[in-house]
Amino acid sequence: MQATTSLDVKRYGARLVWTLLGLAFTGLVFAAALGTGQDAVTILSIFSTRFLGIFIEAAPFLLLGTLASGVIEAFVTQADVVRWLPRNPVLATLGGTFMGFAFPVCECGVVPVARRLFTKGLPMSVGVAFLMAAPVMNPVVLVSTYIAFGTISPAIFVGRFVLTALIATAIGLVFALAARPQDVLRPQNFAPVMGGSAEAASTPAPRRALLPGLIFALKTAGDEFFEMGRYLIIGSLLAAAMQTLVSQEVLLALGRGPVVSVLVMQMLAFLLSVCSTVDAFLALAFVGTFTTGSLISFLTFGPMVDIKSTLMFAGVFNRRTVAYLVVLPFLMALFAGIWMNLNLSF
Amino acid sequence: MQAAHSHDHEHEHTPSAPAQAWVKTGLLLGLALYFLYNIVSGNLTNYINIRFSWLAYIAVAIFGALGAVSAYDLLRARRAEQAHDDHDHYHNHDHVSWPVLFITAIPLLLGTLIPSQPLGASAIDGNISTNVVAVSSMSTLGSDPLQWNVLDWLRAFNKSTNLAEFNNQPADVIGFVYREPDFAEDTFMVARFTISCCVADANAIGLPVVWPDNVALDDSQWVRVSGTFTLGAFRGQQIPLLVATAVEIVEQPKHPYLYP
Repeated sequence: MQATTSLDVKRYGARLVWTLLGLAFTGLVFAAALGTGQDAVTILSIFSTRFLGIFIEAAPFLLLGTLASGVIEAFVTQADVVRWLPRNPVLATLGGTFMGFAFPVCECGVVPVARRLFTKGLPMSVGVAFLMAAPVMNPVVLVSTYIAFGTISPAIFVGRFVLTALIATAIGLVFALAARPQDVLRPQNFAPVMGGSAEAASTPAPRRALLPGLIFALKTAGDEFFEMGRYLIIGSLLAAAMQTLVSQEVLLALGRGPVVSVLVMQMLAFLLSVCSTVDAFLALAFVGTFTTGSLISFLTFGPMVDIKSTLMFAGVFNRRTVAYLVVLPFLMALFAGIWMNLNLSF
Repeated sequence: MQAAHSHDHEHEHTPSAPAQAWVKTGLLLGLALYFLYNIVSGNLTNYINIRFSWLAYIAVAIFGALGAVSAYDLLRARRAEQAHDDHDHYHNHDHVSWPVLFITAIPLLLGTLIPSQPLGASAIDGNISTNVVAVSSMSTLGSDPLQWNVLDWLRAFNKSTNLAEFNNQPADVIGFVYREPDFAEDTFMVARFTISCCVADANAIGLPVVWPDNVALDDSQWVRVSGTFTLGAFRGQQIPLLVATAVEIVEQPKHPYLYP
């Protein structure tokens, strides 16, 4: 971690952030221009409501995620994580897929937790399976998806969890074969210091007493909120700009073909970046118009990858790995959705 | 992550807490207050389904705790500095860069500078539906039809196999006025947004209303419409039209959205 590397990383990160901010505001300007006879103030008001809606709904989940992450940093030692996991790499990866039930986080919160666990010595394959699956494999999403689809379309409810488990485990296993942490993570994330706290480095992680541990967890969570919050905010800005810009009708017109519908829903999942705990209700609005396979792909792919989680991945993994983490789930969910549309009658 | 490195270059010789640390603390406490304000003022219902309002309480608690710890750190550092205790000066090492602080301030800026408003007629942009999927939670549908809202009626229409059964059925609904250029002159829609979780999944729905005096109504005006249904044609679709006997201008309701 020479000064040059960190400077490059820093400059690259800053440039990415500012480019995206610029894009969001360009989108706003376009929205204002396209708004049929509507003045900029109205557009800005609608944009603001949409942005704050996403932010207010998502921020508590992000906070819970960073808090879980801080608690893990303060109280969980490397030995704990390793002890919990099966020795067999395949079984361990499966464990990663279902670990979300122990760390209930949505896709806003999963990245900080996964990042912490990596620095605690979690194997890559397990961490990646966790990263992909946890936003779906948790009690909150289980309940919300059941409420949305349990009676109307049990196939979507079951399909979401089965497909998520399959894809997450498969991607985890790809990383089990191929990757060492230093090939995958951005340099600062496998170093002992992270999250900007030098104390973490100097403390050789004996278990902390409760109160100092809690204070440490809160400090860590505060740092992490700023680290991760910017991605949530930029993602929400983009999503709100898109919603204010693109008419839903245009998207819907694309939607009945067995292939096109899946592509459209996955793009929509990526762009909308709606939290995994509530995306089932959003999907409900498409039940009448879109193919069942496309909805299952939407509910599987969206929690794994969307605008804001991609931005968060970029803070943790190197660029090549980010590309894998976006493209692999996209292709797997796409083929699964198309296959279901062509071969299953729901 | 920028923080971990910037400290090498900038922080080593800074005796007191940098301005960024104060701004950071201010932002955390400010966000706690902003969420609290949304709860107290009721503006929260402009943004999310009230069923999830407990999320905002969580946000207040956690932002508050994070802000308090951050403030405690700053004050302790200042006291140590005043005591010339070189050993215990501010060593949080968490420089958050100015761009990041600015981005994090965006929700606060938009939330405080732009008056909070729910999505209304101007946000519909032609994308309004009279077709609502009947879901399992049709709890209100057992009760008095005069209590039904726009969503309840559209669900009932969707479920019905014979729309003529609604003829002469009286109704009394609240919504905002929505019009498109292709509407007949005596027709407007009494519209609502439905949200499941937050405004990200908002959908506009509406009942067509026949009311010859509707030109007197402004777009987006909240109204209470009473009348009876008559099966008719609206934009090429057979649907019960609400033939109004009275249209009353009302205040925007406390909960502007309907929750499916």
